[in-house]
Amino acid sequence: MKNIYKVLLVFGLSASIFSCSDEFDTRTGQLNTGDLDYTDPSEMSGALVGAYNAFSTRGWEEALLLAVRGDDVNAGGLGDQQPFADTDNFIYNNGYWMYNSLWNLHYSDIIDLNTAIVQLERYREFMEGEDDLRAQQYIAEVRVLRAWLHLNVARTWEDVFIYRTNNPFEEIEANGVSSKEEVMQFIIDEMDEAIPNLPNVRPNERTDFPGGVTAYTAYALKAMANLELENYQGVADAAGEIINSGRFSLYPDFYQLFKIPGELSNESLLEMQFDELGSDVGGTFYHNFAPFGPQGWTPARENASSGWGFFEPSMKYIKFMLDRNETVRLETSVLFTDRGINELNEDGYTDLPAFVSNTTPSGDVINDYERAYFASGKHYLPSDQLPEEQNSYGSAKNFIVTRYAEVLLMYAEAVTRGATPTAGSAAEAVNQVRNRAGLADLPSVTSEDVMDEKFAELAMEWGIRYYDMIRLNNYSELSYDGRSFSESSEYLPYPQEQVDALPLTN
Amino acid sequence: MKTHLLALLFLFTGFTLFAQEKTVTGTVTSADDGMPLPGANVSVQGSTTGTTTDFDGIYEIVLEEGDVLTFSYIGFVTQEVSVDGQEIIDVSLKPDLESLSEVVVVGYGEQKREDLTGSIATIDSEEIQKTPNSNVMQSVQGKVPGVQIVSAGSPGASPTVRIRGLGSFNSGSSSVLYVVDGAFYNNIDFLDSKDIKSINVLKDASSAAIYGVRAANGVVIIETKKGTRNKKPVIEYDTYTGIQVAQNVLKMANAEQFATMAYESGSEADAQFILNAMQRYGRSELNPNVPDVNTDWYNEILREGIITSHGISVTGGGENSTYSVGANYFDQEGILDMKNEYERLNLRSKLDINVTDRIKVGSSFIFSNATQYSPEGSAWFKAYHAVPIMPVIDPQNTDAFPTRYSNAQLLGYRGTQNPFPDMRYNKNQLKVRKILANTYLETEIIEDKLTFRTSYSHDYSTIEGHYVNLPYTLGNNVEGFSSIRREQNNYSNQYWDNTLTYEDSYGKHNLTLMAGHSYRDEAANTFSATGRDIRGIRLETSQFLNFADPSSFSGNVNENGARIYGLSFFGRAAYNFDSKYLLYGTLRYDGSSKFTQDPWGLFPSVGTGWVLSKEDFLKDSSALNFLKLRASWGQLGNDNVGASSGSNTINNVYGIFGGQPYTGYTSSSVFTDNEWELVEEFNFGLDAETLNNRLSLSADYFIRDTENAILPITIPVINQVLNQNAGTIRNQGIELSATWSDNINEDFSYSVGGNFTSIKNEVTAIQNEQGYINSGSAEFRQRTVVGEPLQSFYGLEVVGVFQNETQVSNSPFLGNNPEAQLQPGDLIFRDQNGDGVINDEDRVFLGNFLPTYTYGGNISLNYKNWDFSLSVYGQGGNKILNRKRGEIIYTNDTNMDADLAINRWHGEGTSNSYPSSAGLRKSWNQQLSDFWIEDGDFFRIQNLQVGYTIRNEKLPEIRLNFTAERPLTFFKYNGFTPEITDGVDRQTYPIPAVYTVGLNVKI
Repeated sequence: MKNIYKVLLVFGLSASIFSCSDEFDTRTGQLNTGDLDYTDPSEMSGALVGAYNAFSTRGWEEALLLAVRGDDVNAGGLGDQQPFADTDNFIYNNGYWMYNSLWNLHYSDIIDLNTAIVQLERYREFMEGEDDLRAQQYIAEVRVLRAWLHLNVARTWEDVFIYRTNNPFEEIEANGVSSKEEVMQFIIDEMDEAIPNLPNVRPNERTDFPGGVTAYTAYALKAMANLELENYQGVADAAGEIINSGRFSLYPDFYQLFKIPGELSNESLLEMQFDELGSDVGGTFYHNFAPFGPQGWTPARENASSGWGFFEPSMKYIKFMLDRNETVRLETSVLFTDRGINELNEDGYTDLPAFVSNTTPSGDVINDYERAYFASGKHYLPSDQLPEEQNSYGSAKNFIVTRYAEVLLMYAEAVTRGATPTAGSAAEAVNQVRNRAGLADLPSVTSEDVMDEKFAELAMEWGIRYYDMIRLNNYSELSYDGRSFSESSEYLPYPQEQVDALPLTN
Repeated sequence: MKTHLLALLFLFTGFTLFAQEKTVTGTVTSADDGMPLPGANVSVQGSTTGTTTDFDGIYEIVLEEGDVLTFSYIGFVTQEVSVDGQEIIDVSLKPDLESLSEVVVVGYGEQKREDLTGSIATIDSEEIQKTPNSNVMQSVQGKVPGVQIVSAGSPGASPTVRIRGLGSFNSGSSSVLYVVDGAFYNNIDFLDSKDIKSINVLKDASSAAIYGVRAANGVVIIETKKGTRNKKPVIEYDTYTGIQVAQNVLKMANAEQFATMAYESGSEADAQFILNAMQRYGRSELNPNVPDVNTDWYNEILREGIITSHGISVTGGGENSTYSVGANYFDQEGILDMKNEYERLNLRSKLDINVTDRIKVGSSFIFSNATQYSPEGSAWFKAYHAVPIMPVIDPQNTDAFPTRYSNAQLLGYRGTQNPFPDMRYNKNQLKVRKILANTYLETEIIEDKLTFRTSYSHDYSTIEGHYVNLPYTLGNNVEGFSSIRREQNNYSNQYWDNTLTYEDSYGKHNLTLMAGHSYRDEAANTFSATGRDIRGIRLETSQFLNFADPSSFSGNVNENGARIYGLSFFGRAAYNFDSKYLLYGTLRYDGSSKFTQDPWGLFPSVGTGWVLSKEDFLKDSSALNFLKLRASWGQLGNDNVGASSGSNTINNVYGIFGGQPYTGYTSSSVFTDNEWELVEEFNFGLDAETLNNRLSLSADYFIRDTENAILPITIPVINQVLNQNAGTIRNQGIELSATWSDNINEDFSYSVGGNFTSIKNEVTAIQNEQGYINSGSAEFRQRTVVGEPLQSFYGLEVVGVFQNETQVSNSPFLGNNPEAQLQPGDLIFRDQNGDGVINDEDRVFLGNFLPTYTYGGNISLNYKNWDFSLSVYGQGGNKILNRKRGEIIYTNDTNMDADLAINRWHGEGTSNSYPSSAGLRKSWNQQLSDFWIEDGDFFRIQNLQVGYTIRNEKLPEIRLNFTAERPLTFFKYNGFTPEITDGVDRQTYPIPAVYTVGLNVKI
């Protein structure tokens, strides 16, 4: 009897040891990079889609913080997110979560994009011919997206890190922060390397990834980086390549450009794309536009949700536009409330054009709300354009990052500042933009004219106005509505949590 | 039989004895309940003569006049009776209350309490049953020093149990290990308190180390009831029923107070909203500046809840087997006025069979079938913020469908505020079914010395969740879409344990050795699918996915699973010399597939004890009956942390191109490769009994370090939060308990007990670049740094309130904090670094949510057929972030509690601690400061019970009782309850008082 037990015991113990030790290496319910087949060319695009996904999934606060300091826009948001309003007034708080979030989300996406490049390089090892070229193109696309993220952080904090790898501890150790100029030069160099590998088509001409990055997207970024460097010839050259391609044109309907009909138009150079994922996949892939929206409205389409009221076109901008007798651009850029209109009346703007009304051209009625007088029209999707069963503000609306009008105006500015024209005169470029807005041609333009045109055309878009003003040291424009701007306010302080962890000092 | 043999012997030998032989008979009963004690030993002192009682407790023995009879029975005090002419000797044995000789379950074995070197607390079934609650652990609150129980108010919810502080950053990783009849659980919500025989809490590392990698947060061993051999079946029926009443309901500002606050805020809009309400609902006749509505939202959403329990069981045993079978029913309504209920039916059986003298097999089986309707937590939050100037139902809100609930947006407010749509249009039904099956075989390889035991347990649980949202509209374009979410969670956990135990004595040397092996396989699987657009709008019926639009499923379907394997080898040696010098040691070698770097870990422990009272110099001390000093050390692992991924993982994502979805993936650039958290603990203790065993004392001091603590480390550069082994957390404290019990006479006995615990929680090391770990949200910051407790609240310190303009203009902050636009009525913060400006650098640590001390006490009295018991519990030193107040930072137009409204600053000298109404709406005052953080101290009458037992031979034993559970709690915190698990009170379910009447019948 005893022996049987012992045998059983020994048998039992050994059986369980063997059955279990093997299991120590299994990870049920986890997908690893080891599960990818790098030899399969058809799987390669997965990494690229992942890169676009990282680029497009932006926190709601990012676009707000990038843009809020301009004289085109105010914080709104009375009684909520006070440090955001303080930032609008150039009182900075480096412990404020939005600063850290903008930094974190941008850099973690840069790392994700670098990881996508690493993945694509692994595929490349097994690719030949067409597939290899495709891999190179994908890598170039990711590098363009990465450049845009670097552009934003350098515009916001001046001296920042450049990450070329997905584990950049060594880079930081070796290089520390790069100056804003170095970052811009990095972007220019990156674009020069990317352009030969990118298709020479309009983004909406691409059939593999409609709306994806093309050589012209890279040229646009190159122009922006040169603009930051005040290298106006570089701006004119890069923008000129886009203009001379003859592929781009302004979308005729300025109002609809920012709505569903204007998505992936011939004007678009870079656009974050959002939509429902369709019945095969299910669910949605949306940006949260609610912070831009008015806090109270009566939508044309029942039960559409209103926004948060955190992004208010400035009174200065509206008066500027009224003074210029702007029509479609003002109507498109601003959602009016009765309270805001009263305020205009009190300031002497009594004879307002009919479109200055709290009813949008799409029939949505913007009600008074305490936070702000106005809301952003460029981030507004008419409720009747919302997908069925979707109530969230701005559902399924794309987010335009860079459009041809900006390229034309960058070109015009560069030429007025002394660059040799490579694609026609500055006035020709400006007049294309003016004509679309229903304004008459100018025979010739000065830098001043171009800056005014940029203000009118590009307000509320990604802080373009603010970064123009600090580049030109035009602090008086930024000292508006009781604010006073000085050189020390140009850049945000590094977020405290980053200072605590990285070699950064404010 | 023996007596007959003796008689025969005498007949054959034919000796004539001088002494006179006689036969004595009698019955041995328990003094406790008067029941006969079968199998009790009856022996003649100084001879080998002896017998045992039969089924009815009756014995018969032949002896000589003048002999002394000894009656003994396990768990009872041995009694001696001199034979002096009696023919019938009935004895009633008193239960051995002190039970030093009581046997304690220590994990894969048992030990005598007097031989323990660690810190193990035992709670018996009687104490457990006093608490009318679905969860067994609730009954432990206040009874065991070192064990903190944070009550859960919602029916079916489990309380939070913390043994000796908090050693893990994530509360999910700090759950206690429950060992129920040998199977491992993180949650014992399926057990009915009536089925529990005992709860043993293994507090120190040395005691728990035998459970190795699972034991870091302490171990609770639970034994379910089993039968007794040679005992007639006892049928027991137990029931109680009662009501639950919300306690300490927070007083909110009423319409008049709210309107006053709104007018004083200086906000035009807020004044306008009051006006809107007056236009909509009319003006109050008493005060024409107040709308004619005064809704007390808490009153509206609360109700009284019924609680009911029935249990029937049969226990007993024959010569070769014991059994215990039973069924329990429990039903509890929540006090939130919606479908909020918990109903549970448990079936149970336990069987132990002696196949031969040396082979024993047994099995136990519990099936628990529960249905839980979870509350909508948001209702508590919305009721706090809902303005009192709005009715529940607004007949004018014709756009609201199906019920015309009011919508605060129609008055101009930002939110809809009304909690009723959440309560009425949502249903969260969980069907929780759990089966625990266990079977074992035990055999004595060498009689009384070497025992082998193998035991296999399977714990299978399913949770079937139906989350239904009905469609509704609320006016002002507020629309709730209908949806059904079905969730299916399956858990299948298997445990196979084998142990070999050797027990022997050599003279006064007593030795027990145990070696064992354990295998575990824990698999979990979750499936969920969501459908929208349901047809049929009745909560009772439309809960299946088939009622939803089929095209809405795709993309809302998820499945996930995980499986963890573990393999362990362990051993224990317990040695004592004459029960005087005690030595104890365990070793466990654990492997877990959760850890990719090295799956194996070794966890040792040692313990030692010295029973001074057995030394010669104390042996005869009449004052000191028992005195033991203990010391122990042990290491434990905590694998209750996320599994390491061990390599870069990929995540499927989507992108949109030209309106079409494309699938792709992102891959991680960093990954986890963790080890378990390692707990190391020293424990020093003392147990004493004095004054004729009436006073027992126990004291423990411990230092418990969690090394390799898993912390959410923000990886700089990459900006990802990764859980890494990166810190050390120390919990150290003392535990004291004392019990005095005495029997004054046969009719009256009483006992008084008390316990006190003091625990200091402190982080002693963090390895990361920042040197701190942020948690909570940016607005309500909690921070973990070296030298402070885990997740301390981190904010400004208030020193007063600006009383007048002069004070403001003299303040440096007026100029240095221009954004604040300071006014009288604003808070004055302490400028910690003295730089004249208030900013983040002036933040200090404002305490955390763990109490620094807890205490409990109880009194019980027995007089004739009456019994009475009272227990109390209290705690202090913990802080609560009153976040429902603090969320004024997000919406400043909502209601607030009466305390804020009444005590607000409203003119010089009115308050030096509360801001003005206008101030409450300013971000300066909304910054996290100790204004929003309150003391969590409380004292509570925990349980009061009065019972009456009817003892009549013609009737079965009947006991009636009245119980008041948590009838009174005293605290200052501005909330329903100061029991907030993680210290952040946003929408905590209140803890109700429970009043029940109960009946227990034993046949």
